[in-house]
Amino acid sequence: MTTAPRRQHTLEVLVENSPGVLARVAGLFSRRAFNIDSLNVGPTQDPTISKMVIVVGVEGHSLEQVIAQLDKLISVISIKELLTGSKSEVISTQPDYQN
Amino acid sequence: MATHVPTANGTAMTGATALVKGLEAAGVEVMFGLPGGAILPAYDPIYDSTIRHILVRHEQGAGHAATGYAQVSGRAGVCIATSGPGATNLVTPLMDASMDSVPLVAITGQVPSAAIGTDAFQEADIRGITMPFTKHNYLITDPDEIPGAIAEAFHIATTGRPGPVLVDIAKDALQKMTTFNWPTSINLAGYKPQSTPNAQAITDAAALIAQSSKPVFYVGGGVIKANAAAQLRALVELLGAPVVTTLMARGAFPDSHPLHMGMPGMHGTVAAVTALQKADLLITLGARFDDRVTGKLSTFAPNAKILHADIDPAEIGKNRHADVAVVGDIRETMAALVPALKAALAKNKPDLTAWLRQMNSLKSTYPLGFDIPEDGSLSPQLVIQRLGQISGTDTIFTAGVGQHQMWASQFISYEHPRTWLNSGGAGTMGYGVPAAMGAKVAAPDTTVWAIDGDGCFQMTNQELVTCALNNIPIKVAIINNESLGMVRQWQTLFYDSRYSNTSLESKRVPNFPMLAESMGCVGLACDRPEDLDKTIEKAMSINDQPVVVDFRVHRDAMVWPMVAAGTSNDEIMIARATAPDWDSQEL
Repeated sequence: MTTAPRRQHTLEVLVENSPGVLARVAGLFSRRAFNIDSLNVGPTQDPTISKMVIVVGVEGHSLEQVIAQLDKLISVISIKELLTGSKSEVISTQPDYQN
Repeated sequence: MATHVPTANGTAMTGATALVKGLEAAGVEVMFGLPGGAILPAYDPIYDSTIRHILVRHEQGAGHAATGYAQVSGRAGVCIATSGPGATNLVTPLMDASMDSVPLVAITGQVPSAAIGTDAFQEADIRGITMPFTKHNYLITDPDEIPGAIAEAFHIATTGRPGPVLVDIAKDALQKMTTFNWPTSINLAGYKPQSTPNAQAITDAAALIAQSSKPVFYVGGGVIKANAAAQLRALVELLGAPVVTTLMARGAFPDSHPLHMGMPGMHGTVAAVTALQKADLLITLGARFDDRVTGKLSTFAPNAKILHADIDPAEIGKNRHADVAVVGDIRETMAALVPALKAALAKNKPDLTAWLRQMNSLKSTYPLGFDIPEDGSLSPQLVIQRLGQISGTDTIFTAGVGQHQMWASQFISYEHPRTWLNSGGAGTMGYGVPAAMGAKVAAPDTTVWAIDGDGCFQMTNQELVTCALNNIPIKVAIINNESLGMVRQWQTLFYDSRYSNTSLESKRVPNFPMLAESMGCVGLACDRPEDLDKTIEKAMSINDQPVVVDFRVHRDAMVWPMVAAGTSNDEIMIARATAPDWDSQEL
């Protein structure tokens, strides 16, 4: 069944700081059978916005699909992939069909 | 939306009045609902409102009626219910609307905020329950937030990819005082749907089309949602390629058009299914590669490149890789594609003559058809075909789910968008009657027929009472085969004809004409082919009351063609154990 290698990606997700947001994100991963390896939620300098750091194991589903589905949640404001490595580079991975 | 400032702005009122003023400000003319304790404060200002409230007999009826209203009018449908079981009865319509991208706003009452989380009487976490199949939802406990939430709900439901939005409001928020404040603009940081397609993507799409030699237009329900039938026709006629319309897109392109190959999918035509399988390019417009269309995904359209145009970025690459993706409103996309394609075709116009000849050969060799029962009983397909022919192409048809739904999609000729309403993604038995009610409210001068199964009809027929009492004269054709017919068909084909729990036992229980009469409708019955036309004409002549016709049809009729679940589209059967004669086809 598992032919595609499972790869970990770390996503930094800014969300509205409102009740139920964690359930929306966790429920999305559950119902679409995306793997969460870890999930942390914390405050930002803006009290209306929280930050989630989600480590996803992409297996079968492309990372792009995970991000696109996350982006459909109205409560999700932005998504970035944190690239681990020597520079800890931060890139935006939201599919941008405008460019 | 939210552009004009209502006169109520700045006025002190209860949260309940603010809700109703908000609905009025959003342009709501009709809503379907049923009151109860938690929502009761809202029903007091509803009593004085300009909005027509139609009192249903079951909240599921309210939800599907709102969907039928939305599918015909193109506007958001509105339903309203109380907390707990009232709200959970909306779950199926919300899931249904989510699967078929229907703009819906559902309002539910919630127990008082202090009681939330205490397992209070009629408490249900409807926000939690509906998270998977609403586009967004709200739990409001502060009356000041009611107008803003209503404005956002309509904005979210009707823009981008349409969908259902639920607003759950605690009873005390409805009772408390607030100052009405309708937003002048809506700015949601996490919601910026892209309607204008990227110019480079349009150029790439036009180039891909101009390079193809076997292109097919794979048209989905998004074309109807975007009111883009005219743009589709212009694009199709520019290229001159064959067209298929999915179950959700019937009516997006005229069935009578020579380039129309019919519906693809599990019960699609041989020509439509084969067009997709043999194509070298799918021009995918507002469709989502649903499993009922693709069959076994790994063998779907094996030689085709994919041009995928859709409003929802998450559909791109979800089931099938897109070689060129265009994200945006499908009407804007096609309008932009026409000049781009003209320019591309001026440089290189593919010769589609051989491809069209092949497809037309399949279309004429394997038309949709059915056998007339030898025992002189009624053919269900003939009933449905005659309903379409006698009622005419302006008629709106709704269906339940099952054999009658597939026959209604096959044997009625759809010429206009928004004349065919059904539960495509969810497959909700019981959709037909309440959806027809909503459709008739949206288009009171149009004939509306619900084509229903005897199984489906027994799930939601109580809304005929609502229709009878509210001057909503729909017509219902029960295709009565005494069975859960589609499930029975699968048992015939795949379970050795062991009919476990699919027999509904008797054509006389319930007595459908008597049941209809008891609900304030005219009840008719038809057993014999020779009575078919005059029975339909009789039903057509009654316009001041709902009419129910019990068509007692042959039990063993089956839906063909068929691609069995999980198999390849290449294994399409035109009858039991009968494949098309591929050897005689030049493909």
